[in-house]
Amino acid sequence: MLSLQLLPASPSSSSIRFSAPFNLISRTLKPHSSRTRFRTAAVPVQSVLQWNRKPQLAGETPRVVVITSGKGGVGKTTTTANVGLSLARLGFSVVAVDADVGLRNLDLLLGLENRVNYTLVEVLNGDCRLDQALVRDKRWSNFELLCISKPRSKLPIGFGGKALVWLVDSLKSRQEGCPEFILIDCPAGIDAGFITAITPANEAVLVTTPDITSLRDADRVTGLLECDGIRDIKMIVNRVRTDMIKGEDMMSVLDVQEMLGLALLGVIPEDSEVIRSTNRGYPLVLNKPPTLAGLAFEQAAWRLVEQDSMKAVMVEEEPKKRGFFSFFGG
Amino acid sequence: MTSPRFPVLCHREIPSISSSWPPSIWTLDCHSITPIPQASRAFPGRLAELRAGFGMKLSWGRWSSYRGKLRKNFFVKVSASGDPVTSETDSVPNEAVGAGKGDPFNHFRGVISSLPPVVFVMKRNPGANFVIGFCIATAIFFIVGRVYAARNAMYDRPGSVADLVRRGQLRSDRRGISTPLKYEDPFNNPLVKVGKKNSTVEMCGKVYRLAPVTLTKEEETIHKRRRSRAYQWKRPTMFLKEGDTIPPDVDPDTVRWIPANHPFATTASDIDEDLAQTNVYQKHGVPFRIQAEHEALQRKLEALQREERLDKLVIDRGNAKDFERQFKFQAKSQDVEQGPPFKPSKSDFSPSPAESNSSSEEIQKS
Repeated sequence: MLSLQLLPASPSSSSIRFSAPFNLISRTLKPHSSRTRFRTAAVPVQSVLQWNRKPQLAGETPRVVVITSGKGGVGKTTTTANVGLSLARLGFSVVAVDADVGLRNLDLLLGLENRVNYTLVEVLNGDCRLDQALVRDKRWSNFELLCISKPRSKLPIGFGGKALVWLVDSLKSRQEGCPEFILIDCPAGIDAGFITAITPANEAVLVTTPDITSLRDADRVTGLLECDGIRDIKMIVNRVRTDMIKGEDMMSVLDVQEMLGLALLGVIPEDSEVIRSTNRGYPLVLNKPPTLAGLAFEQAAWRLVEQDSMKAVMVEEEPKKRGFFSFFGG
Repeated sequence: MTSPRFPVLCHREIPSISSSWPPSIWTLDCHSITPIPQASRAFPGRLAELRAGFGMKLSWGRWSSYRGKLRKNFFVKVSASGDPVTSETDSVPNEAVGAGKGDPFNHFRGVISSLPPVVFVMKRNPGANFVIGFCIATAIFFIVGRVYAARNAMYDRPGSVADLVRRGQLRSDRRGISTPLKYEDPFNNPLVKVGKKNSTVEMCGKVYRLAPVTLTKEEETIHKRRRSRAYQWKRPTMFLKEGDTIPPDVDPDTVRWIPANHPFATTASDIDEDLAQTNVYQKHGVPFRIQAEHEALQRKLEALQREERLDKLVIDRGNAKDFERQFKFQAKSQDVEQGPPFKPSKSDFSPSPAESNSSSEEIQKS
């Protein structure tokens, strides 16, 4: 496992400033590709690999991270599953909470749908204990799943948010130890489910795609999170296609960052294996050989552990230099 | 008839055999597969003749190569007819003339039908054997390489599944069924390599150019200020059903109205908040509701035991056995059906839990 890090940027990078702040996101959601390109060329890239070491956990445990987006279908649940299992693979204890009350899917992505017998609603009602509702993944025993409710049941929203705070407190004091990470998969929208999901969180991962519909919702959600007191917000740009960026058909990651002004946790390329992994109930990061998106999720998890952000992004594909024996397929 | 592109020598005087002249002869004879006898080696003048139809006639060709001490001469003869050994020198010129005069198609068919007897004759020289073997191996290697390269070029169709295989996303042998695995070493991934100048990264066989992130802290602060102006929001702390009145000490901005037909949220709860909190914090023992239900049942049973009705709930073992036999022995049950209809009373169907378990297990086993 490795991560891309950039050495401190050269002083020339600091000379570039915003010409004008955003007033209304609807007016300013335009890619500034030409300026971005210019800036890209001006600053030298220096990245350093982190080889062969476990990431150092930063911050106080448990780190309660809500994964949200505003818009639906951008990959919140996929991100939760893959980042969660990556963290488990890196040796951290993880509890993933599917807070999507009405439309839960995290259990499907993890392939644990047949093992969810109890949810948080049953715990609240006293039908089971919390440890009975936690579903332990057999592949990585330090990964546990908790669904907040069953699809057809209704959450008593009066203490939905409080219930998650109690849950975090209860996990802190459990016998086998406090989990290092509690990942909360937030539902789409800014409805009651969103309010419930963000209640216990002290940091947020905003998942977005490089299109203006997603960006507008992401900006709104970021504003709500900041109003709620969550200051540590990083974003993951999902479903990035370098070929479309090259052809100016898609905003680049730097354009997205310029619009939202958030630190980058990861950039996930579009990958056909996502659908296959969903079908199989096997997250991408467990695939062998690893896929491009799986590698990107791993690196995002690495940065999440160290509370780090990306310093360099992949912008476009370059033709690979062919060797002498490439004529023979080498 | 000769072609200007292929100058033909119908006859060529070959120098006599000498110590410097051909150590090996490679004769291609289109007439027959019969190997040229040893005598042919004694006649090096029979070099090579290639005669083709359609007015083209190739005859003597000679390849000579000199390399170091080894001197080799390869002679190829291709002829359409005639005795390769005896009448070759005589017949070749005549046939060459005939080929020009006759039907070129028939002649070409004859040529094709007689293809390709290859006679390979070489002088018994171990050095020459090695060189020829090396040449053949090189040729085979070249052909295999070309075929492999052509096959790879076939996969260059953009966007195909083969592209995914080439990118390492799919295994060609198990397409779409990537192996579930446990990583041996999650901290060392050979599929990611950063270029020497740190300006490129190679992931899954593809090289990507890297660009630095230029977002500064000042820019982040500007964005935060913008959002704080644009979105002013207080998290709702009070959830009320539509139509309820707001309590006097509650900020209206913190009230969230939940419609009665909300798909997944409800303001009603059959359990109070303190109890729910206790349930979440519970680490050991029987969960609250299970225990409550158990206790309620216990109380009900005790109440029933105090009444006379409980006596009727006691199982009549005789009746229970009859009931079991109905399932166990079909013949007997048929007899029962033929006889007076068996109408068990309500109490017969309420055996003790232990009894009911055993009977159900027996049914499953049978």
